[in-house]
This record gives sequence, C-alpha cells and structure tokens, in this order.
Amino acid sequence: MAILIDENTEVVVQGATGKEGSRAVRLMKEYGTKVVAGVTPGKGGQEVEGIPVYNHVQDALKDFPNVQATLVVVPPKFAKFAIKEAIENNIRFINILTEGIPIKDSAELIGLAKSKDIILSGPSSVGIISPGKARVSVIGGENDQVNEIYTPGPIGIISKSGGMTNETAWVVKQAGLGQSTVIGMGGDQLVGMDFVDYLELFEKDPETKGVVIFGELGGTYEDKIAAAVSAGKLTKPIAAFIGGTFAEQFPKGIKFGHAGALIEGERGLPSKKKQLLREAGVLVAEQHHELGELIKNAINK
Amino acid sequence: MRLYEYEAKELLKKHGIAVPESQLLSSAEPPKFTVVKAQILAGGRGKAGGVKVCSTPGEAAQAIQEMLHSTILKEKVDKILVEEKVDSNSLHYIAFTYDTDTGGPVLLYSDQGGVEIENKNITKIPLDPGCGIYTTDDNKVPFDTWPLYQVFAEQDCRLLEINPLAIVNNKPIALDAVIDLDDDAFYKHEGRTYPPRTPGAGTMSEREQKVKTINDADHRGTIKYMELDGDIGFLAAGGGGSITCMDALLAAGGKPANYTEYSGNPPTEKVYELTKVILSKPLKGLWIVGAIANFTKVDATMQGVVQALEEIKPDFPIVVRRSGPNEKEGIQLLEEAAEQHNLNLQVFGKETPMTQTAKIITEKAYGNSN
Repeated sequence: MAILIDENTEVVVQGATGKEGSRAVRLMKEYGTKVVAGVTPGKGGQEVEGIPVYNHVQDALKDFPNVQATLVVVPPKFAKFAIKEAIENNIRFINILTEGIPIKDSAELIGLAKSKDIILSGPSSVGIISPGKARVSVIGGENDQVNEIYTPGPIGIISKSGGMTNETAWVVKQAGLGQSTVIGMGGDQLVGMDFVDYLELFEKDPETKGVVIFGELGGTYEDKIAAAVSAGKLTKPIAAFIGGTFAEQFPKGIKFGHAGALIEGERGLPSKKKQLLREAGVLVAEQHHELGELIKNAINK
Repeated sequence: MRLYEYEAKELLKKHGIAVPESQLLSSAEPPKFTVVKAQILAGGRGKAGGVKVCSTPGEAAQAIQEMLHSTILKEKVDKILVEEKVDSNSLHYIAFTYDTDTGGPVLLYSDQGGVEIENKNITKIPLDPGCGIYTTDDNKVPFDTWPLYQVFAEQDCRLLEINPLAIVNNKPIALDAVIDLDDDAFYKHEGRTYPPRTPGAGTMSEREQKVKTINDADHRGTIKYMELDGDIGFLAAGGGGSITCMDALLAAGGKPANYTEYSGNPPTEKVYELTKVILSKPLKGLWIVGAIANFTKVDATMQGVVQALEEIKPDFPIVVRRSGPNEKEGIQLLEEAAEQHNLNLQVFGKETPMTQTAKIITEKAYGNSN
C-alpha cells in the first residue's frame, strides 16, 4: 500500500499542452502512472504524449469516469479557475505544481476543498511519488534518476522544500530503506495539506513504519506536528529536520529560502520548532544526513 | 511589495477610510500641519526619530529641515508626510493577514494600539476565506471592520496593519498604515504605478547590489546573495538546500563569507557572474553545494563556475558536492579545470550526503585536516 496514489490511480493533467505540462505527462507515463487525459480550454480534441486533451474537466470525466487525481500545471492567472473546476467535479486528490498563485486565491481554494473533503496538495508542490507504483508531477526529474533515489519501502517522507525532496529520500535510501510515499508539500506560505494531514494518512497506512519530515523556518506547520503527537493522534516514529536555524543570527525581516520561510515575529523560529518537536517525542536531526539512521533505528526498536 | 505610509493612506482614502489631513513634501515647504513623519519602509521608525509631533508649524518646519534627506534606519528620507494632529484616548491595533494556524485570512486586534504592540494581548479572529466574515462569535472589536477588510481583499494585500487606529466622535481614523501587497496578484491591478523598491536597499552592500542587478537583468533562474563576515565562500543551489547547508557549515565551525542560493535552472552566464562576486572577497575556502536537482542542469551551471575559477585561479581549497541531470559531465568539467589550472579542488557526487561535505571544506579551509 501507499497513500494517495498507486498503480491503479487514474490521473488527468490540467495544463497538459504547455511546456511544463507535457513534460509532466511524459515523465508520469514513462513511470507507469495511469495518465488518462489532459485538459486545456480551447485545445480539446488534440493529443499530448499519446493521451487525449479535453476543454474541461467534466468533458474528460465523461470518457474517464474513474479519474481520482489531477495535476494542475497551468499559469497562475488560470489556476483558480482550473482548481475550482477540479473541486466542482469532485476529483478526490488535487496536486498543484503552479507557483505564484495569489495568496487570496489559495486561501479561498483551500477553504473550498476542505468543505468538500477534497485533498488539496500544494500550491508550489513538486509532486508526489509512491515508488514502484505511480508518480504525480515532476518530483525527482527524469525517471533514470527517480529509479536511483526512490525505491519501495517502509518510510513516508513529507518535505516542505521541493528541492530537498530528492536529497531527503536519498539519505533514507542510504540508510538502506525505501519509501512508501514521498510528498513535496509546497513552498508557499499557505498550502492545502500540511504535515499533520499527511501524517494522519501515513498513520493509517500499514506499509508505512515511520515518517521523515523536512521542515523549515517560518509558519507553524511543524508546531502542529508536536501538538498532534502529544495528543496521541500519531503513534508511528517521526524523524524531522528543520532547516534555517542559522537565520536566527540575522536581523528579522530578511527572507531566506521560500515564501513560506518568512519568520513572523517570535513565531516560526527553527529553534522553537525543534524544541516543541523534541518535547513531543519527535526525533530531531541536527544535521540533515542524520535523518536516515535516526528513522532506521526508531523503526527497528 | 511594501508600500510607503503615504501610498497606503492614499489606498485607504480611495476605499473611504478616514485618514488625517496631510501634505506630502519632497522639499522644505512651509508645513500646514504639525505631525512630521519620514517616509521609509523600515519598521520601528518612531523610536529611530522618524516621527516628530510638534506643537507649532514653526517647530514642524524645523523638524522637516532636519529630517529631509537625512538617513533613518539606513534609509534615505526623500519624502515627508506632514499631518494634522489627531487627539484621541481610544487607540486600537488592527491587522489583516494570512495565518498558517487557521490556513486562511485572520483579523488581529488589540484595544491597546500604539508602540510596542508586540508585548500586548492580541486577539486572533479567523475569517471565512471566501467572504471574509468572522468565523467566531468572540468579537471584541468595537468598530466596523468590514471597510478595512474590503481594502485587504480587494487590493490583494498580504498584510494590512493599522496601528494605531483612533476613534474620534465614534468614527475610526487610521493614524498609521502598513500595507504589503501580494506580488503574485499584481496582474489583477493593471493601473498600479508604484515605482520599484527594495526594502533594506540602503543597507545593501556593493556586492549585494551587483548580484541584484545581474539577477534582474535576466529572468531565467534566480540568484540571491547576502554578504556575511566570514571567510568561506558559499555557492549553494535551491532555497531549502541553501538553508540546510548554511546550518551544516555553521555547525562544522565554518564561517561563511556570504549566503547564496540559485534556483530555477539559471543560465551559465548568471552562475558565472554570481561566482565572480563570491570570489571577490578574501577567502580561505569555497564550498559549492546543492541537493540532488530535479531539472537544474549540473553541467550548465558548473560551466559558469568553471569560467569564473579559470579567470581567478584561486589557490584556497574548493569542495564541490553536486548531483542531478548531467552530473557526470558537470563533474568532468570541474576536474578538467582543476587539473589544467592546478586548483585545490575536490568533487563529490551524491554518494556523499550534501551536509557531510560541510565538515570537509571547513577542515581544509582552516588547515586542521587530519
């Protein structure tokens, strides 16, 4: 098993005819993901990488009623329209690669998805992969590299940074462990699914024995993990690295890393996050490369 | 984009929010009012002498003379807002922003507006992300917040903060205003004509300004650079990777000469220019590092590094850890350049975890390798 996607998940790609969209379709198909259709308004009737393109999500659903997931890779201007279309058509899982969506639109879409129990991952998500089964979006890049880094196994991974997703999966693999599902959570300040939402899914997944987290300065998503663990909602071992401790030595207001990495006053300090996580019983790695051994020892106890 | 106070107040006025009578001066003209405020982007202006409440226009004229073209919080004062004095003993704090706890917009409120707001009790009220109404009955705000929410939402603000907001004759009036516009939403507001600005620009070093200029001149990929006091040059790829490596370098006892990140597959030329800026400081070592890239081509970016190294031929140790598309070709480029120019350079691929090479460069740079 895995979470959210597997070899049976039928996927559509919104924005499939664009440069990034068609590359995503190719990478996903090569990996074995069931990409059944693309959606681009005005391009209905065309083909991309051997799949049919439709004008609207509902048109694609007429021919492929079993679609359960969509990848959104449209320009930011059209993202709200595209994501609303996916929500209105009750697609269970929406992964958003698009960067630069206005935060007001994100907030509205996140609220809308929650009210319909739809899983919104991203924006600015690098994607999700259940190794050996399926991948949605561009996570890992070309498939020869993907196959080197991502192998099936017992560890779930959630990364706030898209660029650190490969590296985090790699240190886990170097400890001799494969992954159940790996998720790029999205670098924006506001994202749909946060660490705890994914952790709750991993909690229910029998294949996942432990979860590795890449967090960073800013926001409060990591604080929520500490609260959920303390409340007894999460029982599997968790190992976390929180990047950006060095930034505490610099004046407030300087932006490092992502948009989500902005420290708001006393909130969002990495040292505070690490303290909260440790107090709750989460294993905290001081160095990123320690994550692999930390989670390995924890699941073998 | 952070707005100056006078720009923020113009926006508020446009939406029917009351603000004090004022005049905007960029030369020493006779003032009609007595509150003199330097127009700078940095916070904490009041404490730094950027706000003078005078009792006569003559006193205000003197304050304007002193403040105009002075430097406050490392920012040059080019404009001064002169306002009428508003007397009120009912001062409030109100702000709208987005919050990761609630996953949507929130209203922040305190009935004790004014300086040092950080130390006062602030109530957080979650708002419905669609229509903006309160999602709690716990409403302690004694005035109608709807007009301010309208500004926040319609103008696509990431932050709208009024501190203080005074109540005069039962009507709210915004005595100060901080607005951060969402850069991602500018396409929705075509008429906007705010001149470009860089918060903290006055505090930027020559090297920092140079990298910003190089970056702005070419939209492909992004490079960032921040000068620090140490002696190990730092050239890192990706936002998350860069902050992770900075942590590792400090933990290993290395003193970084700069912070950098490059991302989004920048062209060779951009990486070349960035490397040259990094190498323009006196260094004891250079660390070139990055996580396993998804699409950024290792050979193309390393080509830029190699060009800069061939030009400058540094004699200090260089440690490289890079992996991703075309990694073999990238590593080969570096090794060839090292041999040809007799560089003290060691290259690692993904078999060595990124953060482990922090210790290697630190030991080499400071000469206590054993």
